[in-house]
Amino acid sequence: MSVAAASRAAPRGSGLARLLNGPHDIGRTPGAWAVLAAGLASFLVYPHWATAFQATNVAYYLLNIPMALGLSLLWGYGGVLSFGQVAFFAVAGYVYGIVAGNLPDAPWGTWLGVVSGLGASAALAAVFGYFIFYARVAAWIVPILTLVLALLLSTFLGLTAGSMWTVGQVPLGGYNGMTGIPALQVGTLTFQDYAFYYLTVGVVVLCYIGLRAWVNAHRGQVLMAIREDTLRTELLGYDVRREQLRAFVLAATLAGVSGLLYVQWGNYITPSVTGLQQAALPVVWVAVGGRDSLLAVAICTFLLNQLSYVLSSAGNQYALVIIGALLVAVMMFAPEGIVVTLARRTWRRRR
Amino acid sequence: MSDGDALLRAEGLCKRFGGVVAAQSIDFALRRGELRCVIGPNGAGKSTFFSLLCGIQRPDAGRIVFDGRDITRLKPFQRVRLGIGLTFQTNRAFHAMTVAENLETARRGGAAGDDVHFQTALASFGLAAQLERPASALPHHELQWLEICMALRRGPLLLLLDEPTAGMSPAETARTAEVLTALAADGLAIAVVEHDIAFVRQVAQTVTVLHQGAVFAEGSFAEVTARDDVRRIYLGHVHEAAA
Repeated sequence: MSVAAASRAAPRGSGLARLLNGPHDIGRTPGAWAVLAAGLASFLVYPHWATAFQATNVAYYLLNIPMALGLSLLWGYGGVLSFGQVAFFAVAGYVYGIVAGNLPDAPWGTWLGVVSGLGASAALAAVFGYFIFYARVAAWIVPILTLVLALLLSTFLGLTAGSMWTVGQVPLGGYNGMTGIPALQVGTLTFQDYAFYYLTVGVVVLCYIGLRAWVNAHRGQVLMAIREDTLRTELLGYDVRREQLRAFVLAATLAGVSGLLYVQWGNYITPSVTGLQQAALPVVWVAVGGRDSLLAVAICTFLLNQLSYVLSSAGNQYALVIIGALLVAVMMFAPEGIVVTLARRTWRRRR
Repeated sequence: MSDGDALLRAEGLCKRFGGVVAAQSIDFALRRGELRCVIGPNGAGKSTFFSLLCGIQRPDAGRIVFDGRDITRLKPFQRVRLGIGLTFQTNRAFHAMTVAENLETARRGGAAGDDVHFQTALASFGLAAQLERPASALPHHELQWLEICMALRRGPLLLLLDEPTAGMSPAETARTAEVLTALAADGLAIAVVEHDIAFVRQVAQTVTVLHQGAVFAEGSFAEVTARDDVRRIYLGHVHEAAA
């Protein structure tokens, strides 16, 4: 009797709905799901009242969410802090630009760009992560190593000015970056304006749903077990290095998704996307929202990107200072994150 | 002791930490279905011996054979997958998870064996009725029991326990001893590193005494505790500590 009970009680691979409602994210009451559904509905109808320019701006606030969710998985759920997610963002964007830019006439050129971009991010993470995790590098060194990766990449890309750095017919462009990157196409539909907006909303929702199921499924629980007690997890028979590498590659691929959306948005990419300022931002979004809640991270990433955009387009040169001050305030007064703290107060139950 | 048919055999295990010799040539053999207690004064090398067996430390010399296989160079998770279950001195169940999630995480650590011992332990420790509780809500002794159940979840051939009754009341200790004795009678090999003499008296068929990183004495509880030299190095310390 007890084995059957034990199997029934534990979350199994069956049933997406059950996984989605598992204990490892905020917002599990019917009321919370209703709020989420209403939120999604308002994103879906928003373009009805908005200009294409406004819709594209909102898509810009959304497009970093996959990268932030990946960092939430890696750091909040897995206990491994990466300061270098922007490196994978940049690799996907650049590789997409090179591949799609060299195949302007092929109908599948941009899609080959997507596959290569994500593949390049995942491959870089697999190689880099292999050395980090299989060498059992101490946890506190990982943020430094990943930051160095991002800064090296930024420096290297900055040196790629001139004709010798032209791949096929696409110049990498040094500090000025790569311009004229083609937008995704299906037949005659080009993902710009409203189509880009809906693409972004769809990708963000898919990433969120997928990760929420992941953290409540077995692989996610193993990740949390490693965060809580690495040695204990290993002594239950888990190859901790492999589990951490898997999460690292997944998080890097999600950063690549954001990089791909970014080059759709502006059709350009520069080395500054993987520079010091940008490298710090995902950590801020995740920490301010509440790193061990995917939903909190998604909401906070959207709001902070909007805040940054509004502040800097209003000519306020203190945008970064304000975001930084917000981080300090959150760490002092709501260390679990603003959104998580507010959600707990509202719903009075999380776990 | 002897031992063509030993399930676990350690030969000449040595481990130094800088100038400190934590283990010098430990020889140890354990049969299937045997329940063994490893005792010794503080600093005798019990913890080092335990971590050499489960692979947290690698020996400087010597080898460990488990179930006919040389496991000296295997990593901890590989040893667990071959059929070694273990618990630590301190509570290390996952507090953020429920009892059921803890057991599920333990179940999926690798290929599963026969879970008859797990079922016995889960029922005997009364945890079957508490599957939905968060582990953080369990009292100390039930957390220790949960960890024993987790170690048994995948049907190991050998259970290694490091002070499983630390912090338990006499009644809880006695119940732990009862359950472990029953598991050994069912054919499970168990090695327990323990301080609690009442527990050792209740469970042990054979007792191994470690002293200064080597096996000092081995035999039945009565034999070992009757020896003057054992009383001097070990039991004397216990009485002083208790006084």
